[in-house]
Amino acid sequence: MAEGFDIDHLAKLARLSLTAEEKALYSSQLNQILGHFQALADADLPATIDDARVVDEAALRSDEPGPVLGAEAVTRIAPASRDGQISVPRVVDDES
Amino acid sequence: MADALHTLSAAELGRRLAAGTLTSRALCEALIARYQAVNDKVGAFTHLDQADVLAQADASDARRQAGQGRGPLEGIPVAIKDNIAVKGQPLTCSSKMLAPLVSPYDSHVAERLRAAGAILYGRLNMDEFAMGSSTENSALRKTFNPWDLARIPGGSSGGSAAALAAGLVPLSLGSDTGGSIRQPASHCGVVGLKPTYGLISRFGLVAFASSLDQIGPMARSIEDCELLLHALASADARDMTCFGPSDRALTAAGDAKKFRIGIPKGFLGKGVAPEVAAAVNAAVEFYRAQGCAISEVELPSADLAVPTYYVVATAEASSNLGRYDGVRYGHRSAAAGTPVEMMTASRSEGFGPEVKRRILLGTFVLSAGYADAYYVRALRARAKIRAEYLAALAGVDVLLTPTVPTPAFKVGEKASDPLQLYLEDIFTIPANLAGLPAISVPCGKSGHLPVGFHLVGAPLSEAKLLAAGRLFEAAHGYAHQQAAL
Repeated sequence: MAEGFDIDHLAKLARLSLTAEEKALYSSQLNQILGHFQALADADLPATIDDARVVDEAALRSDEPGPVLGAEAVTRIAPASRDGQISVPRVVDDES
Repeated sequence: MADALHTLSAAELGRRLAAGTLTSRALCEALIARYQAVNDKVGAFTHLDQADVLAQADASDARRQAGQGRGPLEGIPVAIKDNIAVKGQPLTCSSKMLAPLVSPYDSHVAERLRAAGAILYGRLNMDEFAMGSSTENSALRKTFNPWDLARIPGGSSGGSAAALAAGLVPLSLGSDTGGSIRQPASHCGVVGLKPTYGLISRFGLVAFASSLDQIGPMARSIEDCELLLHALASADARDMTCFGPSDRALTAAGDAKKFRIGIPKGFLGKGVAPEVAAAVNAAVEFYRAQGCAISEVELPSADLAVPTYYVVATAEASSNLGRYDGVRYGHRSAAAGTPVEMMTASRSEGFGPEVKRRILLGTFVLSAGYADAYYVRALRARAKIRAEYLAALAGVDVLLTPTVPTPAFKVGEKASDPLQLYLEDIFTIPANLAGLPAISVPCGKSGHLPVGFHLVGAPLSEAKLLAAGRLFEAAHGYAHQQAAL
């Protein structure tokens, strides 16, 4: 089942930067863990996943405005903020 | 007298508070003294704001004085796992990713505890983002088993269990995604209950695997566990899976001596330590002698539970933990370049090794070309496991197994072998996959280390689990036990 395991591709998808040591360690450990998952490939399983749900019917609530934290509380916990807004690295380059 | 308060149950403390022979301030001062004496040895708490605790205690005493007491938890301290939001207190998940964060809001369970008059008492250590079975994955500090300080307390709610066993607090909250309440409860000789999926709101619980996560009560006795459960169960529209309190779950138990108890075939065999098997078998014989009907039940897909869990849980975790990008809260790397570089650096610096391992695993099982082979097959296996458990529970009131195959292991013993650690949860995982309530009840010792048995019931059978636990507890000396420190 674990064919094609590519630690660099996974790290990119997961937005993680791994050292060479981490890549070697995680590759080895994930291969071991995925080997344990072989039981899933071999099992006789039902065709449907309907019964996997642990709640029969999700109680969706109506989409109505409710209390919010407010800008002051939100910016207080943000890593960086300015003028009541969260600041982030530049997303769009200036046109030259 | 004050030095003995840490040995008393929440129920007894509540009686003394109600009778006016004890104040919440005196109780909290005694527990703070206990904290100062033993927390450095045990490491259960990561944070305790003593001035805030005493202010809450004074407010509780004033309410009681004015005849406005709010019920049996009025003035009783409840310590809270560090992944459950309490306004104004740290919310770190024992991770560098969130270490500076102070919660701007209360979780639903914190609201419930405040409404019940309880004292919101400190933050408890845990495996980072609740990923682990030993609390060794905390980025903040080590927690040790109060019964043997060279051993792990279990996890991920290791601080919640160790605080109880060390007499640091009478009640605590944990969270349980694959056994994270029940496994540490077993290792520390306390009671831990994972409720039916949906009984208690997760609003304000930091999400790990949303189809599995539940908040639950932990205590040194069944009576105290039940007291806390009743305070927590309440409808909440902010968690769409929460259906609120249920008379069936909370009150309708019946006579535990007439319960039919199922023993899953093969669960007491391979991999279970002889002392654990002996303690659990003695519990089975106790129930038989009380008049319970004992029968063997078949759960043929039980071996699929661990792989199914680690596919589903890591898949959901890789999605849930996508929110930690260094933008709105949590750690932001100083080595910021482009937004993607900033996010990647922030995540790489903020997450610890086990969290990275699970994110990578979850990313893989959801990735193009592999999702059908892993994630979808795991959902199909989950459906099969759930159907088998519900079928078995149609014929018995509860299923009884060990909670954990072996007693608490030594710190560092399994740190380099994640697969061995994952197998710690082999008996507890199915209840999460099937959404069923389950409890760990202390039932003896292996040498000096506590052992617990595990009861699983049909949906909303919490009252039955507590009744069965109470019958056992009343005839044995394991309630209220604390380690000598």
